[in-house]
Amino acid sequence: MFKLKELVQMRNRGGSTTSSGGGMGGGGGGMGGGCYTYPDAPATIGRVTPDVSFNRGIYMNGSMQMDDGNSVRVWGFTDGGGGMGGMGGQFPSPAIRVTEGQIVHTNLTVNGMMWLHTIHHHGIEPSTENDGVGHYSFDVDGTYTYQWKAAHAGTYFYHCHTNTVLHAEMGMYGALIIDPPEGAGTLFAGGPSYDVEAIWACDEFDSSWHNLNWDAGTCGEDVGLNTLNPDYFIITGVDGAQSAATNPAVAVTMSQQQTLLVRYINAGYLAQRIDFGGLDVEIHMSDGRALPQPETVTEIQSVSAERYDCIIKPNSSGVYTITIEYLDWVTDEVIGTAQTRITVT
Amino acid sequence: MFANYIKDLNIKKLKDIFIMKRREFLKFGTAGVASSMLGSLGLLTWVPRAHAITINKTYYITDGFVAQVDGQDVYFRGFSNSSGALNVPAEPIIAQQGDTLNITVVNTLGTTHSFVIDGVVDSGNIAGGASKTLSFTVNNAGSYLFYDKLNAPYNRLSGLHGGFAVMPSGSSNELYDGSATFVQQYFWVTNDVDPVWHDAIRVGDTPTTPFTPRYFTINGRNMRVPGHPEYTNVDRDSGYATDTRLVGSVGDRTLIRIQNVGLCRHSVHFHANHVEWLAVNGAPRSQVWKKDTLNLPNNKGSLDVIYPFESPPDAWPPVNTGHFPMHFHDEMTQTAGGGFYQFGLATTIEFK
Ligand SMILES: [Cu+2]
Ligand SMILES: [Cu+2]
Repeated sequence: MFKLKELVQMRNRGGSTTSSGGGMGGGGGGMGGGCYTYPDAPATIGRVTPDVSFNRGIYMNGSMQMDDGNSVRVWGFTDGGGGMGGMGGQFPSPAIRVTEGQIVHTNLTVNGMMWLHTIHHHGIEPSTENDGVGHYSFDVDGTYTYQWKAAHAGTYFYHCHTNTVLHAEMGMYGALIIDPPEGAGTLFAGGPSYDVEAIWACDEFDSSWHNLNWDAGTCGEDVGLNTLNPDYFIITGVDGAQSAATNPAVAVTMSQQQTLLVRYINAGYLAQRIDFGGLDVEIHMSDGRALPQPETVTEIQSVSAERYDCIIKPNSSGVYTITIEYLDWVTDEVIGTAQTRITVT
Repeated sequence: MFANYIKDLNIKKLKDIFIMKRREFLKFGTAGVASSMLGSLGLLTWVPRAHAITINKTYYITDGFVAQVDGQDVYFRGFSNSSGALNVPAEPIIAQQGDTLNITVVNTLGTTHSFVIDGVVDSGNIAGGASKTLSFTVNNAGSYLFYDKLNAPYNRLSGLHGGFAVMPSGSSNELYDGSATFVQQYFWVTNDVDPVWHDAIRVGDTPTTPFTPRYFTINGRNMRVPGHPEYTNVDRDSGYATDTRLVGSVGDRTLIRIQNVGLCRHSVHFHANHVEWLAVNGAPRSQVWKKDTLNLPNNKGSLDVIYPFESPPDAWPPVNTGHFPMHFHDEMTQTAGGGFYQFGLATTIEFK
């Protein structure tokens, strides 16, 4: 078997054209070379003028305040091309929202001397170079323009695909919504319309992972990334212990005459069961595709990265408690919960 | 015309890669790879027949060690193609509705084992050193698992498992009568490997520690990436192994029979195309959903999906070629030995 020493010498191999990036040695919060990384930032093949573009940088020093008073470090994407790691940023990362048919540029800027990252638009199916998976293309070192066309309306998310097990857990994701040509307010062409919209990206944190370097484990070190023992359960960046019940970024207030669309994203790694507190829920889409026939349910079970688009038309007023249960991957036992509310007036 | 199929079934060398005799206890390492043996293993071939036939197959229960990417040797048992091989998982079988199977199981080990297909056949105990021939007829089209159900779940987890498919009679392109159609098919058997448990199994103990998988396998292997010495090695790299890597041109609709022998529920994520979700745990779905991510139940859970090999819909400019991953999205599965991201349960989808 090869030795770790030999592995370290392999860093920065595999990318096609670059010679820069990585190789800074270990230590600290950000510096480090990593193994089996592929730093590059080539010109985008067949680049055209986009219909819409987004600029994303990187922050590695964010924090999330938990209901128990602790703060947990998070990483993510900034809105704008900067992001040298100095300014923190929002969690989840800023949403990307486009209209079906548009050609989109996602411009990602990464300081490869510090760390490497990518953007994978999960559920979007572009060319290899624009899919954002490091070992099939490159980890971005500099600025790369991901070019893709929004073919199907629906709910997606984007996340980093470098040392993904760690980077996605650290919070490097944001919502990605494709509206139909009719615009926001309609789920997909010919599909249901809605008056109120909520995006619930349900995630769990194992805070013991949150002090690792960006390249932790990539050279073969055992850093425990095979076991997730989450201690925080989160809805769209808000602690599901208490805050998410009332935080207006998550909790919904609507009238009985209104129609609610919940874009539910399993943004964690564990299976989840979301109970809608007695409300009937019509599932119209999953993973950015309309179901052949909508299904009416009162709860949904999901696994990591599935999305479900849920239309809710409450027929009585009241406060409905929504509970997301996080399930052990062996036993299906509930190992944590997050809660929010739908208040119908 | 049917003789060819039988011949093919009998002589096909499927993953005779982890070759070792129990007594010699040779260890499989990179140097021991017999890559020529793997060249013959392709996706599963199938020719429909007008009449039922009898299929004969012998499996040898063997054991040995498989070196993992971080250098750890892990103990496995398998239903192997010869007494000198270790096949994990076993070579799959494809039959047709109405066929009779004569399966001979030769237990070369000292421990008692069994050969079971739920709802179809159960060998009962096959003592150490003993053999048993099972004769049975298959009637219901679909995807199955054969496995050792004794000492559950340990014997199954240790590697005694393989895929078993029954094609609708006279059909070459359906999962079941009237299902969506395909032009090629694969078995992906997935497992979660806790080396501490495997070592307890080796010495005949019941594992007592909490299940802590450290390796995640698809057809017994895991992923390698550019820069690693085993990258592209079809015996070791699940991204290149011919029984896992999906290869197709646009239009080559591909059935994948996913059987999860492991203890963990998983998320299966396909890049570049959504799949058509035909069945779960052997039950056809009344509505076929298009999904990029699917819930794979644990403990012999299964999914049948069709990867359509359509031009990636969001590419601009449009493309018809490329390389993409299929990986599990509960990303702990993408590690080996607690780190080594990219060396977990994944394979490559090649649009050629
Ligand atoms: Cu990243
Ligand atoms: Cu993803």
